[in-house]
Amino acid sequence: MADLTTKYLGLTLRNPVVIASSGLTNSVDDIVELDKNGAGAVVLKSIFEEQILLEAEHSLKKAEKDGMIYTELSETLDYIDEHIKEKELGAYLDLIRKVKSKVMIPVIASVNCISAREWTSFARQIEDAGADALELNIFVMPFNFDTNSIEKEQVYYDIVNKVKDLVSIPVSVKISPYFANLGRVIMRLEEHGADGVVMFNRFASPDIDINARKVTSAEVLSHPFEMANTLRWVAIMAEQLKMDIAASTGIHDGEAVIKQLLAGATITQVASTIYRNGPEHIVTMLKFVHDWMDEHGYNYIDQFRGKLSQGKMEHPEVYERMQFMRYFSEIK
Amino acid sequence: MESILEYLKEERSQEWRAKLRKSMKAKERTSRERVSMPEADPNQRNKNNMEVNSGLPVENAILEAQRCLDCPDPTCMNGCPVGINIPKFIKKIEAKDFLGAAVVLKETNGLPAVCGRVCPQEKQCESSCFYTIKLNKPAVAIGYLERFAADYERESGKMAVPKVSEKNKIKVGVVGSGPAGLAAAGDLAKFGYDVTVFEALHEIGGVLKYGIPEFRLPNEIVDVEIDNLRKMGVKFKTNFLVGKTVSFDDLKKEGYKAFFVGSGAGLPRFMNIPGENFNGIFSSNEYLTRVNLMHAASDEYDTPVISGKNVAVIGGGNTAMDSVRTAKRLGADRAMIIYRRSEKEMPARVEEIKHAKEEGIEFMNLHNPLEYYDNDNGRVNRMKVQKMELGEPDASGRRRPIPIEGSEFYIDVDTVVVSVGVSPNPLIPKVLSDLKVTDWGTIIVDQETMQSSIPELFAGGDIVRGGATVILAMGDGRKAAAGMHKYIQEKVKAN
Repeated sequence: MADLTTKYLGLTLRNPVVIASSGLTNSVDDIVELDKNGAGAVVLKSIFEEQILLEAEHSLKKAEKDGMIYTELSETLDYIDEHIKEKELGAYLDLIRKVKSKVMIPVIASVNCISAREWTSFARQIEDAGADALELNIFVMPFNFDTNSIEKEQVYYDIVNKVKDLVSIPVSVKISPYFANLGRVIMRLEEHGADGVVMFNRFASPDIDINARKVTSAEVLSHPFEMANTLRWVAIMAEQLKMDIAASTGIHDGEAVIKQLLAGATITQVASTIYRNGPEHIVTMLKFVHDWMDEHGYNYIDQFRGKLSQGKMEHPEVYERMQFMRYFSEIK
Repeated sequence: MESILEYLKEERSQEWRAKLRKSMKAKERTSRERVSMPEADPNQRNKNNMEVNSGLPVENAILEAQRCLDCPDPTCMNGCPVGINIPKFIKKIEAKDFLGAAVVLKETNGLPAVCGRVCPQEKQCESSCFYTIKLNKPAVAIGYLERFAADYERESGKMAVPKVSEKNKIKVGVVGSGPAGLAAAGDLAKFGYDVTVFEALHEIGGVLKYGIPEFRLPNEIVDVEIDNLRKMGVKFKTNFLVGKTVSFDDLKKEGYKAFFVGSGAGLPRFMNIPGENFNGIFSSNEYLTRVNLMHAASDEYDTPVISGKNVAVIGGGNTAMDSVRTAKRLGADRAMIIYRRSEKEMPARVEEIKHAKEEGIEFMNLHNPLEYYDNDNGRVNRMKVQKMELGEPDASGRRRPIPIEGSEFYIDVDTVVVSVGVSPNPLIPKVLSDLKVTDWGTIIVDQETMQSSIPELFAGGDIVRGGATVILAMGDGRKAAAGMHKYIQEKVKAN
């Protein structure tokens, strides 16, 4: 029987199906369930810098409603954002400790940061709480048109530098595909010490209801067709990097897992399909991978990982522009 | 509401008030300058615990009282959390009936000498004064006058002990001897109850003693009020932690029929930044309690605080000001406030900020600590701070502090006092599982009766409000006493 054991960020995973940071990984009970169904590892739900600021505002309003009037005189409410942060961070550290005591699989913490400010010091506490690795979910909003792309990219490197200085656990970086020179940015993340890259972040997107003429939110869960961009960049970067690659977005079944591994991914991260099909879908995905490996005579994942990466291709251009040209030229 | 307005109208129409109003033209009243409070010399007072404000002399109190226009619609009262009949007590001062003024104050405020010293009048009654809102002139100095009347009564030796109803032999307990507890105890004693106040510390007075330094509120002022309560029959038990020393059930077995919980917000908060556990870094609660209550500044006592030469106090509230001014008095060469917003956003009273500046306190506004470092023995010796700038206002209306990247620098410190707020004391909610609390850990009460989810338990002050003013806490205590009285009487009748 095929062995699905995989090394990711220096950690040994029993298989390459990792549950991505999401609402699925926000409670001990849910994570225990994912573990029972065979997840290779879990990335805990991200703790959000901006979310905490919003929570602080909500708490202030609630404080006034609860009769804590004269908020302008209160030292406590003057530092409410700090206190909310402490509370949220405390709860997060508690989650790490509890999950670690309940499951054997690696537990990767996740911080969603937009700056290299005090959040970086939180990384040390995450390590102390027992997280096996840390995934930095970084997204510098592109809406400030006064800064150029180099300045924006520098924020990513600064965060990685600071966090790597503070912790000894492995650190991966989850990024969006929206960079002027994506490949170069990924390589520079490695130069700055990142142990892995997660491709890619998926954002909540707006939609428009044309009848109500209102902005609404687009569907939150991904679809399989969204995997193509990740597949392309995994394949392009696989031979360029020494660090690990986690493929994310649109991976919904065992076939998709195999495709990403063939392209060169170290592991895959899944969420939407588990939301749709439940934790037991992990079993189905893993069975598919097993069966496929048996069918094709692979005993270990390393025997086929990256086999179809761009660097190993006889015609590497298939992952580049040519792919589109050929596709469209074939349309009659 | 209508009855209050009617009452005020009736009071205002009394002959002595009408006569007083006619005795001076409004223009003459409004043309007067607001009197100033005599203060001790900053360079002398910052070396000892002498009270900074020495109180208005009689003639200035009368001059200031004459500024009050005795408005038909006294807007100032809207700003007073306990609804003191402000024009009436001020007119009593103008009429030179100073003891009468104290009586008016005590109708609704049991600790006027305290409130006259520590209430943020500029944000309460004085901010709603006719002078402030209509004339754009300095408000009538209501706080100074309150203090004057209360001090006059105390110093006259004619301090009246409030009348107490016949003892009904029903035992009630008050947990905590801060302003809420003292106010509740006083009113419960007036109703005739057998009142016992349980205090966890060895001194009675709660935050009035452990939190507010003597240079702002001398202990003797608080002690006089406590003595008055004793004269009314209130009993005090110190070093007594309800929920630990004995349980509520034990007390009920001893015959206690109802309780008022005013256990305050004594649990300090920190910023959760690296190095905050090093020696030499205190919460303001610990620092002030050690100095104010445990005589830590005195060599004769066993629990000293090191008199830091470079002391940084983090925060911009009154507790931060109390801490930094205390540090200066303990001999600090450099006593600094490190506050992440600007002076305009500081929650501290304007007067406290002014006094602190006069005393040589250094204000590092728009700075925030990032990390503390030690001297390898676990004692803080340096801190990293970052400069801040102000962004958009947050929900509180204060502009949000935003760090300036690359502006970090180091400051040598040997003592740090973290004064960024407090949490409600968790002990009582922890031992009473039926007690409903908010997300903040504050006890949920009926706003009218102050009754909690446990029928015989009433609460008020910081344990309900999170962090309020002395006068709000007292208002809660009084409201709760009335609620308890009603609850017990209904129960007695039912039995």
